[in-house]
Amino acid sequence: MSALGHYLEEEGIATVAIGLIRPQIENTKPPRALWVPFELGRPFGPPGDPAFQTRVILAALRLLERADGPVILADFPADDPREAPDPSWRPPAPAETVAAEIAALAPAYRDRLARSGRSTVGLSGLSIEACGATIAAWLRGAPPPSPRPGYSAPLLLRFAIDDVKAYVLEAAAGGARPSSRQLGDWLWQRSATGAALHALRELCLASDDERLKLIAGNFIVPAARVRA
Amino acid sequence: MTRLSKLPPAQAKRLAELDCPDFATRPFVSGPALSRRRVAIVSSAGLVVRGEEPFRGRDPDYRAIPGTTAPENLLMSHISINFDRTGFQEDWNVVFPLDRLGELAAAGTIGSVARTHYSFMGATDPVQMEPHARELAGRLKQDGVDAVILSPV
Repeated sequence: MSALGHYLEEEGIATVAIGLIRPQIENTKPPRALWVPFELGRPFGPPGDPAFQTRVILAALRLLERADGPVILADFPADDPREAPDPSWRPPAPAETVAAEIAALAPAYRDRLARSGRSTVGLSGLSIEACGATIAAWLRGAPPPSPRPGYSAPLLLRFAIDDVKAYVLEAAAGGARPSSRQLGDWLWQRSATGAALHALRELCLASDDERLKLIAGNFIVPAARVRA
Repeated sequence: MTRLSKLPPAQAKRLAELDCPDFATRPFVSGPALSRRRVAIVSSAGLVVRGEEPFRGRDPDYRAIPGTTAPENLLMSHISINFDRTGFQEDWNVVFPLDRLGELAAAGTIGSVARTHYSFMGATDPVQMEPHARELAGRLKQDGVDAVILSPV
């Protein structure tokens, strides 16, 4: 991100970078950067909190009006209030398989979609049931051919995993305000989807196929959630 | 929070020591007051408009996101799984604060919002992104943009 700022600025466009990893900003020395003490994935802080987000954006944009650079590095002073758990949130009931979990969560997913008007499911281009079936087939050791021209079977698996995770997490959050940790604990420790992905990772790591091993090591279970 | 002490030690070490280009120049472009600036978002979250080609790996190019894109049509195809996506799932402004920029423009705090915004895939080697970033600068200028907010994940 900081490198992009450097290139754009060299071309004559003023930039300000939001930075989540302070040592990276210190190393790349972009023209202007605002370090924010939020978790990775949340550069503007808490979801559903326009006033807080505006504070972050303005803190960044105001750096454009300073003349004492380069380099300008400022620190945003407040933590993300949505890192706190929501005690009223309840995780979904346990399910046996990914398919059963998708089916059981369908009403909650539809409710959330109706309420927010928005879902981030859709990278694979497959129905959510087909995404679940794709994961199950790989788990059985019988990877299905990719139905999308130009998309290899492993690439489609990656997008199918992204879609199933988005679907179950959106449904599980519902209308409550769980923290990412609450949702992550449920997904990786208690959900059928998480169990299937842990198993798929182990299966692929044991494969002779180096490409599969690479996928298993990097793109199925987050580093912080890999079981010892 | 992304204080490195809160991350798994291996991930914290990798992020802190990530290879960054060593630049020979230190450019610093000045401009008018914020109330006269035209602002664009350039994200590195692997954002893509629904139905368009997602990022497949460490692609060095970028995707255009028209300012008219509806929130339900913005997807995230970043290759890394080691960051939170639930914030973006709940509210796209966590990563792509287009609603907030619109409010700031309506209030006169910024001059205007760009017609088009852009996303790279941030796990890509910055050196490979360079020609695309320089070409993007031309597009931004054509749109009259004189302020870019760079948003990572």
